[in-house]
Amino acid sequence: MTRAWRNLPFALTRACRRSYSESASHLPSLPPHEEWRRIFDTANNIKERACIKRVDTARLVVESFLGDKSPAGGEDKVVIEAFPGPGALSRALLELPRSKLRKLIILEDNAEYLPHLKALELVDTRVHVVPYSGFLWDTYTYLEDTGLLSDIQPVPWENGIHPNLHFISHLQRSIKGEQLIAQLFRCIPDRTWLYRYGRVPMSFLMSDWVRTRMAAPPGNSVRCKLSVIAEAVAKCHVSLKEELQPYEANFHPVASRGGGGKKPITKRIGHPFVAMNIIPHEDQFITKGTLDKWDYCLRRLFVLKSTPLTRCINSLAPGASILLKALTDPTLPFDQRVEVNKAPRGLTVADWALLVRAFDQWPFAPEVCACMSYAPTDAHCLACRTS
Amino acid sequence: MPSDTISWQDEMEHFLRRRTSYTILPTPPASANASDLRALLFTDTPTQNLISVIGACLHNLYDVRRAQGIFNDLRKSEKSALLDVRMYNSMLHAYLEMARGRDSEDPEMWLDEAWSLFGAMEDGSSQVHPTANTYTVMLLAWLRHGPDSAKPIPSRDQRDPPQLLRSMIDHQVAPTMVVADRALETSEEASEVIQLLSRAAVEMGLSNVVSELGMAESLGRQEDDPLDNVPEAMPVKRRRKVERISVLHGDDGSVVGMQATEDVGEPQPDVPFNLETLRKHLAKVVFARRALPDDVAARQKLLEESVYDVAVERLKHTTDLLEELGLSNKALKTNDLQQLMWQWHAKLKERLKAEIQNVDKQEHRLKNNSEVKLVDKRRMVGLSPFLSLLTPEKLSMIVILELMHMQGTGGVQHGMKTARALLSIGKAVELEYKAEMCKKHNIAIPSAGRAPSNGFFTSLGYRDLQSQRLVAQRFLQDTEEWSAEWSQAVRVKVGSFLVDCLMDIATVVRTKTDKATGEVHSEEQPAFFHTYEYLRGNKLGVIKLNPSIADKISKDSVRGTLHPRHLPMLVKPKQWLSPDEGGYIYNQTWAMRFKDSQEQQSYLRRASSLGNLELVYTSLDILGSTPWQINRQVFDIVLQVWNSGERFCKIPPVSNDVPEPEKPMNWDTDPAARVAYLTRQRTYQHNKANDHSKRCDVNYKIEIARAFLGDTFYFPHNVDFRGRAYPLPPHLSHIGDDLSRGLLLFAESKPIGERGLRWLKIHLAGLYGYDKANFDERVQWVHERLDEIYDSAENPLTGRRWWTKAEDPWQCLATCIELRQALNSPDPHAYECALPVHQDGTCNGLQHYAALGGDAAGAKQVNLDVTDRPSDVYSYVADMVEEQLEQGIKEGHVEAIMLKGKVSRKVVKQTVMTTVYGVTFIGAREQIERQLKERGDIAAEDCWKASAYLARLTLGCIGDLFKGAKSIQEWLNVCARLISKSIPPERAEEAAENLKSLTRRRTRESELAKLKKEQMTTVIWTTPLGLPIVQPYRATKRKQILTAMQSVYISDPNIPTTVNTMRQASAFPPNFIHSLDATHMMLTALECRTQELTFASVHDSYWTHAGDVDKMAAIIRDTFIALHSSNVMNRLYQEFLERYKGYIVPVAILKHGSMLQKHGIKPERLTIKSFPADFAKSSEDSAAIATPAQVEEATEEDVAEAEVVEEMEDVEDVTDLEAKSIQHKKMSPTAKQTAKFIAAALANAGPGPLDHKFVELSSLLPPVPEMGTFDVNKIKSSLYFFS
Repeated sequence: MTRAWRNLPFALTRACRRSYSESASHLPSLPPHEEWRRIFDTANNIKERACIKRVDTARLVVESFLGDKSPAGGEDKVVIEAFPGPGALSRALLELPRSKLRKLIILEDNAEYLPHLKALELVDTRVHVVPYSGFLWDTYTYLEDTGLLSDIQPVPWENGIHPNLHFISHLQRSIKGEQLIAQLFRCIPDRTWLYRYGRVPMSFLMSDWVRTRMAAPPGNSVRCKLSVIAEAVAKCHVSLKEELQPYEANFHPVASRGGGGKKPITKRIGHPFVAMNIIPHEDQFITKGTLDKWDYCLRRLFVLKSTPLTRCINSLAPGASILLKALTDPTLPFDQRVEVNKAPRGLTVADWALLVRAFDQWPFAPEVCACMSYAPTDAHCLACRTS
Repeated sequence: MPSDTISWQDEMEHFLRRRTSYTILPTPPASANASDLRALLFTDTPTQNLISVIGACLHNLYDVRRAQGIFNDLRKSEKSALLDVRMYNSMLHAYLEMARGRDSEDPEMWLDEAWSLFGAMEDGSSQVHPTANTYTVMLLAWLRHGPDSAKPIPSRDQRDPPQLLRSMIDHQVAPTMVVADRALETSEEASEVIQLLSRAAVEMGLSNVVSELGMAESLGRQEDDPLDNVPEAMPVKRRRKVERISVLHGDDGSVVGMQATEDVGEPQPDVPFNLETLRKHLAKVVFARRALPDDVAARQKLLEESVYDVAVERLKHTTDLLEELGLSNKALKTNDLQQLMWQWHAKLKERLKAEIQNVDKQEHRLKNNSEVKLVDKRRMVGLSPFLSLLTPEKLSMIVILELMHMQGTGGVQHGMKTARALLSIGKAVELEYKAEMCKKHNIAIPSAGRAPSNGFFTSLGYRDLQSQRLVAQRFLQDTEEWSAEWSQAVRVKVGSFLVDCLMDIATVVRTKTDKATGEVHSEEQPAFFHTYEYLRGNKLGVIKLNPSIADKISKDSVRGTLHPRHLPMLVKPKQWLSPDEGGYIYNQTWAMRFKDSQEQQSYLRRASSLGNLELVYTSLDILGSTPWQINRQVFDIVLQVWNSGERFCKIPPVSNDVPEPEKPMNWDTDPAARVAYLTRQRTYQHNKANDHSKRCDVNYKIEIARAFLGDTFYFPHNVDFRGRAYPLPPHLSHIGDDLSRGLLLFAESKPIGERGLRWLKIHLAGLYGYDKANFDERVQWVHERLDEIYDSAENPLTGRRWWTKAEDPWQCLATCIELRQALNSPDPHAYECALPVHQDGTCNGLQHYAALGGDAAGAKQVNLDVTDRPSDVYSYVADMVEEQLEQGIKEGHVEAIMLKGKVSRKVVKQTVMTTVYGVTFIGAREQIERQLKERGDIAAEDCWKASAYLARLTLGCIGDLFKGAKSIQEWLNVCARLISKSIPPERAEEAAENLKSLTRRRTRESELAKLKKEQMTTVIWTTPLGLPIVQPYRATKRKQILTAMQSVYISDPNIPTTVNTMRQASAFPPNFIHSLDATHMMLTALECRTQELTFASVHDSYWTHAGDVDKMAAIIRDTFIALHSSNVMNRLYQEFLERYKGYIVPVAILKHGSMLQKHGIKPERLTIKSFPADFAKSSEDSAAIATPAQVEEATEEDVAEAEVVEEMEDVEDVTDLEAKSIQHKKMSPTAKQTAKFIAAALANAGPGPLDHKFVELSSLLPPVPEMGTFDVNKIKSSLYFFS
């Protein structure tokens, strides 16, 4: 990373010489698609990432994120863009007028991509390239410390969507991408991270597989912890789907011949991507301070996702079957009871909320600590608290 | 006596240089359908299941008909060779019992069956030979149902006593053993059998048999020793007429005949014949030894035999006591652990009774179901026979005690892995049943401690050991009832049945006070619950204890939960007689700890039966016969500390004393701060859990020490698969931690002498951590601190507590006490001391490497060479690393700055020690992280990064330092790699044929996959003492077993699978070195026994009395020199050549051409074979024949790809592969080298495609690396070699 900075002028000239003009834009262009693989694939650590390569598709995406029809749209936006790749999407964003896009903060730590982003900084004063990964908490601390967000006013949660701040990212295809988005969802109930500023909308380009998991309704076979959390904290709108197909034409990298090996098809390079807008709920199911308990109950019960609650609830803690009483108490109004013959996979978010409430009130509930669900591989990494 | 020393050394060196007798078994077949001889050596699980069903059905004649059916099926099948003679005998016995009365309807059928089975055994058609037990059973059949009996039943194949006696003599079975056999239940029967045989012998004119039987008869009438001293307790004497048998002599004095006459004289007083007495005396004769002092032996037997009964009694007693005190009324239900267990037990045994009846009924119904085929019925392995083996009371106690005992194992906090728990409970039931069988006949046990008069290392002495063992083994095997080994599936099912019942009924009442409201909540909760956890991404079923139970285990008395196989023994352990006979008296243990590998078991059995293991067995016997006692003075201090409940010297406190980390102010808003907090919180929780398990562990140790206060006790030992010896009791033993060691003393004391006193001081300095100076300085160091030492000994807790700051505080305290007592005694040199003094190898693995390679530089580093002060590898490496840190700081690495000045010797020690054993980067990082965390001066959240950085530096430094060890390590690695890729000659044709079948649409991958399937050869070698070491690393095949609780995946050791080439290769160097250090230890143990020194060892730390240290030091050096003068490496090479004679390696999977060349393999010299042999002539494939030039071209690409496929299995992250394959397309330099290498090898091999070419393994194995200049004899005068 440091070396890339040092060599910047050289790298920059090289990048510019290679580039050719795809659009009439005033922005420095990217190399032709067919060369991306040769230029950007020298290190393996970006294999898990995907980024859009066609500028016209990128424009469609920007329109679906910030356009007038988007629920996340608006004027005078300050966009934080993580994992941009060489910057096709960033370029499309910068084609927006200043009235629409006030500032674009780009987070990218890959030395191969950086020169193509720094080039933007030179021609457009709205661009700020931060050479750190969107995956690290420190990166966001850095944004504040350097005053890049000092012009953002916190907006009370009840006052609607934050009018300016907007987070946009490509999501990694691997498990890390899923972990990242799960982690960002987790910041919503306690209003940490960017949510300190209010109900900040987010927009993602993500694997259709992650979308399926996020959007799986109760009873669906892929319903999982992520589905419940996502449903509990935010509304997710798919903004583009068919327009992004086929993957190979629109995204980098593409699969090598016969590659992919033993991986499930959903995680292989080439699995379709979709675009999505995410708006945090105004009323949160997960009340402040109960996130750890939600995590605990979801994690424990989803292990036995298709076993009826009556039988699997004991795996929460010894004696937890006593909670069944609280969940089926006939003195409660009907909508405050849970059908306990349902399996964890069949429970709605409302059911979960009732279950967590009962767990919370149970005197013998085990002490739940956030550290129980967290693997300490790298303390600074956003996704380290695995879901 | 120097002349003596020379002679034993010569003998040992001679012994070590002898041609080792290898234990060689065929390589397991690659495919299951290979039904040749080899299948016989490897039982399959279904057969094992059937055999165990027979065993269970025969027990108490539970279902003899079913057993009969299965037995006859098996006899007809090709598995008949697996049936052991003891099983035949059990069948005979069962038939006889059925005829006797169990089946009054058809006694003739049973008797016919028995005689015809005997006939088959007798004429050899059944591949087993009758034993004493067989004859006894058949004699009983004659006695009970013969023509002259009370209940005659004629039978077709019936034999009369003379016929039986004739057969006995033909099969070399001693009549004395027959008349003392366990099949005889009463003395009357025994006496009658003697009569029968005597009469037959007289008829046949066998005078020696007559006199032998006469001796047996008189032995049976002899009175017992104790009775001699107590005349008034003389047994009742009765008068009776006896038949007199006399020998008739001819005129020349020769025996001409026998005569039986009715005694006509006065009826005389007669001691009644007693079978017990006969057996006991016979045992004495057989083992030629005195019986054990009765009381200790009795206590040991009592200790072992009745654990579950005793547990029941104890729990009941506690409960009764509490009831008397009025404590157990419902309102005040106390939760005392013992009482709880009693409550569960009371409920569970009733529950089990009912459930077992249910299972029984169900299985019965299924059996009578006419729709199920008869063959299928027999193949069904139901639970009911197994559950009938023990009483419900015992089953109940077993499951309760085992579950309690297993808590905290397998890295599960307050719980255990389900699969492991179910297995071990099933195993406990099996073992308890076996122990019951063992006990049934009150067998006399041979104890350890034989020493041949000719020394261990002469061939005479060796044979002496072997014949002694064989006699004892035969005696024991014949006296024990046959019981089959259970398969894993049966164990799991039995375990699951029991646990399921327990979880259902075991509850505990928990109360909790609400912190906010003060309200008291009370709830009845299950004591155990089943749940799942994710461990490294794998969903894992676990059984957990209710937190309140887990809490009690760390505080309450745990005495009730200990099994005798977790305890030391009160008598010398049973001598090792066979792989599964030795150690504890009733509890079956194996001489080797296997890793789920049937192959290891087969080799051990084979080696044992070939007589290759005598010295290994003897060494284990010697280690087991070292007497120990509890150090009372230290125990009192430990107890005081324990009862105080405070944290002290690694004993954690009762209640947690570390404050919880505080939540940072910006916890809510700053995710980074939150994560940092969570890391600390996690470390805190982790430490808390550690403290808990540590406390449980200490609890066990104290409990055991208390139980054995004032006793002399012994630790039975066995070996791991590399031959390293370990004591069997897991909790308290000398191999344990500092506390365990501090609590132990030798049982015997010996005068310390002048030298011993000096060694005691050196020992003390070492325990404190001052072990880098030379001996004089260490003694001086102790002298300067005598004041502190006295204070520690006199006021360990109230004084200045100098000893608590020692590296090994408890051992330090014990030594302080001892030193003070010695110095204060009137004549310090005459002081009798029982404290073990240690001699430790300095980085023993490297010592062996240095000696193997004659590496002079390495030898210096690890004190093989003569120096005036000890060199310390660890400090040396630590200094090297610190130097590199300086460089890192200059380059601005954060980690380097963080770590500066913190890299102590201790931080790198484990990593240096384990590099020789092949530690990986990941392992090294973890070791270093542990050390950094222990230091505590690096924030918890930074430890990961810092340790990764430091591990990289450390490994780099070590690599530079020990170049000598490296070449040997590489050689071993290359050999293992080649061996594990080789194919036994008998598989070659088939392997080639298999490939041929692929001719249509074959791809490189499919070919290599086929070849890979043939890789069944594991690396095996023989230690200089004759122990075959079999590396167990193979692909794991798990089988799913459905149980009531969850489906359990367990590996089935009976299915042979392909070897894991990677692990075979990477584990070989460390395993080989371990097999050498184990040999060194055993040689030392043997020689210490010869010179009458007390000896104990913890791998490379050897212990003896202070006064004997000089003697032992000499032995250690001599044995090491003898071992390494025997040309270890060359012998290994020779063994490989012989063991893997004819084995071949497919040319297509050769790798590392340059590496092979570097090790001196010339491609032109390789022996290449083609399979099938006539391939070149076959016209059908003529198109495939390529010219050498083409071969070369083809090879390049093939090899490149081969390498990718090879690695595919090893690399977990498959995505990396794509990149690799791209790189390899461009042909890496190593692949190019290999291609060239193969092309050169094939140049004079004749035409034919690559995949039909095989290289002879013997021509591929590189020659042993050349020795350096270091002469091992120098070690004799190296002071610090072991110190």
